[in-house]
Amino acid sequence: MAAIEIRDLHKKFRVYADQGNSLKEKMLSKKRRSYEERWVLNGISLEVEKGEAIGLVGKNGCGKSTLLKLMSRILFPESGTVKLNGRVSSLIELGAGFHPDMTGRENIYTNASIFGLTRKEIDERLQEIIDFSELEEFIDNPVRTYSSGMYMRLAFSVAIHVGADILLIDEILAVGDAAFQAKCFERLMEIKAEGTTIVIVSHSMAQLERICDRTVWIEGGKIRMEGAPNEVNPKYLEYMGQRRQLSAAKNAKKEQTDAELSEETPAKWTDICLVNEQGERVEKFATGDTITLQLTYQADTANAEEALIGLALYRADKALCYGTNTQREHLQPIVLKEKGVVRCKFAPMNLVAGTYWFDVALRRMDMFAYDYAAQAVRFAVYDPIDETGVTRLDHTWSFDDTAE
Amino acid sequence: MRLIRELVQYREMIASFVRKDLKGRYKGSVLGFLWTFINPLLQLLVYTMVFSVILKSSIENYYMHLFVALVPWIFFASSLTTGSHLILDQKNMIKKIYFPREVLPVAYTTSSFCNMLFSFIIVFAVIATMRLGVSWAALPWLIPVMAIQYILVLGMNFITSSVTVYCRDLEHIMGVLSMAWMYLSPVVYGVQFIPEGWDKFYMYNPMAPIILAYRDILYYKTAPNLGQLGQAFLISLGVLLVGVLVFEKLQKRFAEVL
Repeated sequence: MAAIEIRDLHKKFRVYADQGNSLKEKMLSKKRRSYEERWVLNGISLEVEKGEAIGLVGKNGCGKSTLLKLMSRILFPESGTVKLNGRVSSLIELGAGFHPDMTGRENIYTNASIFGLTRKEIDERLQEIIDFSELEEFIDNPVRTYSSGMYMRLAFSVAIHVGADILLIDEILAVGDAAFQAKCFERLMEIKAEGTTIVIVSHSMAQLERICDRTVWIEGGKIRMEGAPNEVNPKYLEYMGQRRQLSAAKNAKKEQTDAELSEETPAKWTDICLVNEQGERVEKFATGDTITLQLTYQADTANAEEALIGLALYRADKALCYGTNTQREHLQPIVLKEKGVVRCKFAPMNLVAGTYWFDVALRRMDMFAYDYAAQAVRFAVYDPIDETGVTRLDHTWSFDDTAE
Repeated sequence: MRLIRELVQYREMIASFVRKDLKGRYKGSVLGFLWTFINPLLQLLVYTMVFSVILKSSIENYYMHLFVALVPWIFFASSLTTGSHLILDQKNMIKKIYFPREVLPVAYTTSSFCNMLFSFIIVFAVIATMRLGVSWAALPWLIPVMAIQYILVLGMNFITSSVTVYCRDLEHIMGVLSMAWMYLSPVVYGVQFIPEGWDKFYMYNPMAPIILAYRDILYYKTAPNLGQLGQAFLISLGVLLVGVLVFEKLQKRFAEVL
């Protein structure tokens, strides 16, 4: 028996031009009640086996979150059926039902009861929940005194300990600090190994690839493609990349205007982009492609001194992958021109699949920043072969017929 | 069937909501939980002033005649007024998380019911201090009467709370309706004031036999009129059934409309 069976699901929303909920508004202006019907799901069928983990991807508004809400029974479909076999826990809105004036411990009871646990079941899990949340010393303080990180940790901890057979997750792995995120991720892997079925909506391909057995790509309320993550994800990224390049080209036109320079900031980036060997802007490419980071600046030569350029490459989970600057590499200080272009070529760019960005800094030689462009250019890398880690290391294999 | 199974599974959620409601109802007020007792007493005072001092009602021990009806009436009226927005009040939870929506009216009805039970402590305290006495033979009838009223109020809460989500005016209409309903029920007056020939229709209001039953038991110290009470039971059951069906139908779009 499949854990989740979805058959030919259709869902529409009514979008009111101007929603009036009182009788007067309804009576006085009949036409205000006019609404548009928007179909969000147009016939989705999906089966998920027990213990399987699937990832839902798709651009914003494609219906993946609606699908998740239908699975969790917050919404009801127009037609079609959703069947879930087993207890469901959703990590869609963490901490819904938390009461700020009650203590952490009391909130554990209330929150777990909303997941359908009995008092006895909660008693059994209480210590585990507190331990996982690492909030032992604060557990008897009112939740309103918690930081948002602590709040999320408690909420996640409850949701993940309810002993669900099916876990529905919407972009949650942004809980707390990096260490806690890693712990949540590990816990998810454990839960999966124990046979829990997991459905995740996420924009992080790296996360999906690590945890999911299958990616389902939803587009316009239908399944566009499904299959192993390493097959579907690159295709999806490629598609998203094309879309983004279109919008990037639009933005580029806008940014042709001159930068405003002043005495404090006598030099500024005016354009930062990645280009391929043909000189075309790209935001998505394959591991091993030759890629050039192209930096355009403007400077007020009267005020600007000699400068250096710093790069930092981050992965989407904020892990610093690589950082350098021109000074450390013992290059000559850069003499800024009024307008100039600096190119940094990566041949080949060997990052493995994932989403990354560059921070780019233009600094005076004493490290004072003229301009620091955080997340200046975001890009996605797909990997034709399914490597893992951060970067491909140059290597060669050799095979001897016999051992000596 | 699904409904009963789910409500049993979510019993801890119901219990925790009832606790939270009873504790939180008067949170932040100086007298706190005492308001559960003070509120009906103050209402009792007002009505007694009007009907026994100003209008000079001929009923003996008018305040007691009124009090045993007023306490159950407040339970019923609360379902019409505050009960109508019990779903609206939990908007955030309904939009964000799944739980059987029926939990909310059940929990609300139960906590108001508990409030009525607490108020009855005062009723008995007054009976004791004024040496009015009780009939031990009649007293056990309170249990089925309360059960019937619980069924009725639960049914009303299912209807009003779910309809209010789609038509917010209902909660305002309810204020007037509950006032009219009170005068159509024998709360401030006795059944002897109902004009001849009207009593047949009068008794279709399930609250009429229920209140008369409370009064029979606690004021007249006799067993209630079983024929009338049976009719009230059937009507209440009907209201609950309609309530469950209406709620079941309307709850599907709660998350979208809220």
